[in-house]
Amino acid sequence: MKKFRTKIIVISVILFFCANAFGQKLKLDVKEHKLDNGIKLLMLEKHDVPIVSLRIVYKVGSVNERPGITGASHLFEHMMFKGTEIFGTKDYNSEKPLLAKEDELMSDIVFEKSKGNDKDIEKLKRLQEELEDVWKKQKDLIVKDEMWSIYLKNGATGLNASTGNDATYYYCNLPANRLELWAFMESDRMKNLVLREFYSERDVVMEERRMRTENSPFGLLIEQLNAATFTAHPYGWPVIGWMSDIRNMKKADVSEYFEQYYSPNNAVIVVVGDINPDIVVDLIEKHFGDIERQPAPPSVTTVEPQQRGERRVYVEYDANPVLSIAYHKPAVGHPDQYVFDVIEAILSNGRTSRLYKSLIEEKRIAVMAHAYGGASKYPDTFIFFSSPRHPHTAEEVEEAIYEELEKLKTTPVTDHELQKIKNQLEAGFVRSLESASGLASEISSYEAISDWRYINTLVEKTVAVTPEDIIRVANKYFTKTNRTVAILVNKKKGNGAAHENKGS
Amino acid sequence: MKTKEVNFSLRHFFIFIIMLSGFSIGQAKTLYAYDEHSGQAIEPVMTAPQSEGAKIVSKFEYEPIEFTPPRPERVVLDNGMVIYLLEDHELPLFKITAKFRTGAVYEPEEKAGLANLVGSVMRRGGTKTRTPEQMNEELEFIAASVETGISRESGSASLSTMKKDIDKGLDVFADVLMNPAFPEDMIRKEKDEILENIRRENDTPSKIIFREFRKILYKADHPYSRKIIGYKETVESITRDDMIAFHKKYFCPNNVIMGISGDFDTQEILEKLKVVFADWKKREIHFSEVPAVEKKFKRSINYIYKDVNQASVVFGHLGINRLNKDYFPIKIMNFILGGGSFTSRIPSKVRSDEGLAYSAYSGFHTPRDLGFFFASCQTKSESTVKAINFALDEVRKIREEHVGDDELELAKDTYINQFIFKFTSSASIVGQMVGIEYEGLPLDYLDTYVDNIKAITKEDIARVAKEYLRPDDIKLLVIGDVEQFDKPLTGFGEVNTIELENKKE
Repeated sequence: MKKFRTKIIVISVILFFCANAFGQKLKLDVKEHKLDNGIKLLMLEKHDVPIVSLRIVYKVGSVNERPGITGASHLFEHMMFKGTEIFGTKDYNSEKPLLAKEDELMSDIVFEKSKGNDKDIEKLKRLQEELEDVWKKQKDLIVKDEMWSIYLKNGATGLNASTGNDATYYYCNLPANRLELWAFMESDRMKNLVLREFYSERDVVMEERRMRTENSPFGLLIEQLNAATFTAHPYGWPVIGWMSDIRNMKKADVSEYFEQYYSPNNAVIVVVGDINPDIVVDLIEKHFGDIERQPAPPSVTTVEPQQRGERRVYVEYDANPVLSIAYHKPAVGHPDQYVFDVIEAILSNGRTSRLYKSLIEEKRIAVMAHAYGGASKYPDTFIFFSSPRHPHTAEEVEEAIYEELEKLKTTPVTDHELQKIKNQLEAGFVRSLESASGLASEISSYEAISDWRYINTLVEKTVAVTPEDIIRVANKYFTKTNRTVAILVNKKKGNGAAHENKGS
Repeated sequence: MKTKEVNFSLRHFFIFIIMLSGFSIGQAKTLYAYDEHSGQAIEPVMTAPQSEGAKIVSKFEYEPIEFTPPRPERVVLDNGMVIYLLEDHELPLFKITAKFRTGAVYEPEEKAGLANLVGSVMRRGGTKTRTPEQMNEELEFIAASVETGISRESGSASLSTMKKDIDKGLDVFADVLMNPAFPEDMIRKEKDEILENIRRENDTPSKIIFREFRKILYKADHPYSRKIIGYKETVESITRDDMIAFHKKYFCPNNVIMGISGDFDTQEILEKLKVVFADWKKREIHFSEVPAVEKKFKRSINYIYKDVNQASVVFGHLGINRLNKDYFPIKIMNFILGGGSFTSRIPSKVRSDEGLAYSAYSGFHTPRDLGFFFASCQTKSESTVKAINFALDEVRKIREEHVGDDELELAKDTYINQFIFKFTSSASIVGQMVGIEYEGLPLDYLDTYVDNIKAITKEDIARVAKEYLRPDDIKLLVIGDVEQFDKPLTGFGEVNTIELENKKE
């Protein structure tokens, strides 16, 4: 199904509330309950199969970081699987002093290394040996990946977690009768997390960065695009963090994070499936009710200044050219977001979309071209990305994209096109009702950036978008001054021939 | 319907990994904790819980789950079409998923890429009475889709539409299967895009690794060694006549299994199918000969240079086919070895203990003839040999000593308690049945599934580990920059340096 994945991300934009052809109510009947400590519980009943899809959302992501600790939210997400005072350890009382010793040795090592040429090599060696010894003792006490195992043993599927700019999500689907197990384990993670195996996990995340970003053409390009697009706002740094920040991350940095952001008043629980809401409320109250509310986490106050001229970035890498373009746009809640949703669909949805028809079918200058303009918590970007078809250049593709944007600025979109998008939104909504796990993800992602109710008005607001709105928005945002262009250029770094037979 | 060489269908894989496909774009950048590439519930017994938490949850009691998965009806039409039907009136939706017995294995070597090209242009090129533009517009206006594709060992076709558009959907679906136009201009476009994708193959190690690994595992004259999308010269040599002939040969009613689910009435749909496929005639098919995989094991160490800071590693050897009698014990054995996510031995050692990789796992690829066992990871250049040795040690260890009770139980409980998730949608229920029949598995496969898992013992695991894992006969492939490796690869044996395909412009 290459090229026709209309969305590459987890958020699907759907929803409609209007008279529709399916006799289907196009609203989600989500039940809400708020605990005294601030936890918000969202429930949706779906009784066809005895399963539950569960999500916990913490409203913290890379946007809450600062230079020096970029990647902290994501590294912390990894740490959430390492266990608690009662899970993942044979005996926390014996483990505790070892964890303290580990931190002490680590900071001694860092301090000694920071002396540069004056560092005491012998002392470093001794500290390193002591640390190895502490790790060995720790290993004897650790029960590897125990929480993960217990979930699997009980039939969990879709076990995972993800970190984005605005929020961190924890996923789990279970047979419906296992809800209490989940509530017990998740509430324990919220109360009694222990940061064990921190340093090896830091290494794992560095490997993840090498894989996703440093050895991936698009990974590299998008990182540089964002870094150039945002000069002040934290959306400018990568979710995974800069390598040097990951490498030097301290346990204290992430535990401070935990204190600040992993509080009940910053968490949302989503339960979709074969449930009785009253029972769910009781269970959640029972297990999460005693967790103490924390001071509200600080809000992000940095605002990206208005861009005053085109920015261009070239990334040299040993791969075929790829292109990306970003235009600043407002945050979720701004009425123009609905117009961007429509523009994205017109440009990028399926085989009849304008980018596909123009760049791939007619001009034949690209093999892939997509636009994406989903909603974010803070002002972000509407972006394009494309792979040119040799011998056509990234610059040719760039020009062709501008041509399409000019059309949006001058020629009203036809009623037929708007009706098609409306039909697709409605059908998409109905199809979304098939999957408990899809619904749970959708509810949590909108709740994370605004409010789940956004889903129930999205349709009517999107349908209300007019051809004039599209012309206005295109003229307002798709300007040269407001854009950043990043192009990956093929640059052979090494000489492969010189390496022949070096493997032997 | 995947065209990427490295994409194995999950159904053929005993790995339990969710690869985050591609990457998330722009502001919706998301990182997942775990990389993937997807009843009769039982009470898990915690084998001597080791932690306080485990002790507490081992005492939890659960209300039994009562759930009888709906059974699709199986019908065979006069023209030979096999159809599974499952009515589901919950939502006004309608879906068909179909499999055809065809694939790249049936194409001549000099025409490599033919099957894939037919699978794409069948849909993309329109039909004798519908131009591509008309068809795209017609379908997308009603939010419907018809897609086709041909992979290594099967062809697939799908229809998804709203209930009110069933007639129109069926009409287009049948038209695409029976009367594709294969226009020259569209063939040219598709070829050019395939050639571009071939040009881009060397851009990332993940696109190189299984392409090259297959060439190492299988003899050059076997279709398993080849790329589904073909090669520059072979793609160029494919003619429209080749495509028409290939389509005609394999796309007939007696060569398809269809799964139909959604808001419909069975009798009505059967009548409609008879009408739209009225001109589709049964034909005898002479499948092209596919040579048997030669079962040979010989250690080989292979290296490809690429200027990256992280080595990509895969090692393994020939394995089993999908119908192997030991499929279930092997599935469980691999779960314990490296297919069971964090809890299995390879990721536990390489990733969790040592911090050497984000992605480290093992799997058995099980096609119709002999597939392969493999273990794979990506690790920074400086720990390449160390990581390989850790993973290889685990392969040795599982052959030499019995697995623990707790490990075996975890693996079995996981599959048994996850069983209910095989029935979460009517589309997945019929889709599974289509797959089961297509693979040639017994039609009661799902009825015996849980018992097959339950029956497995430690002795079974030991036996299949000894029989199907051959750590001394591995074929190893490493992509990276040997100058930066911790040790030379020569420690594993004589190194064969491979030149990348299509390097020269």
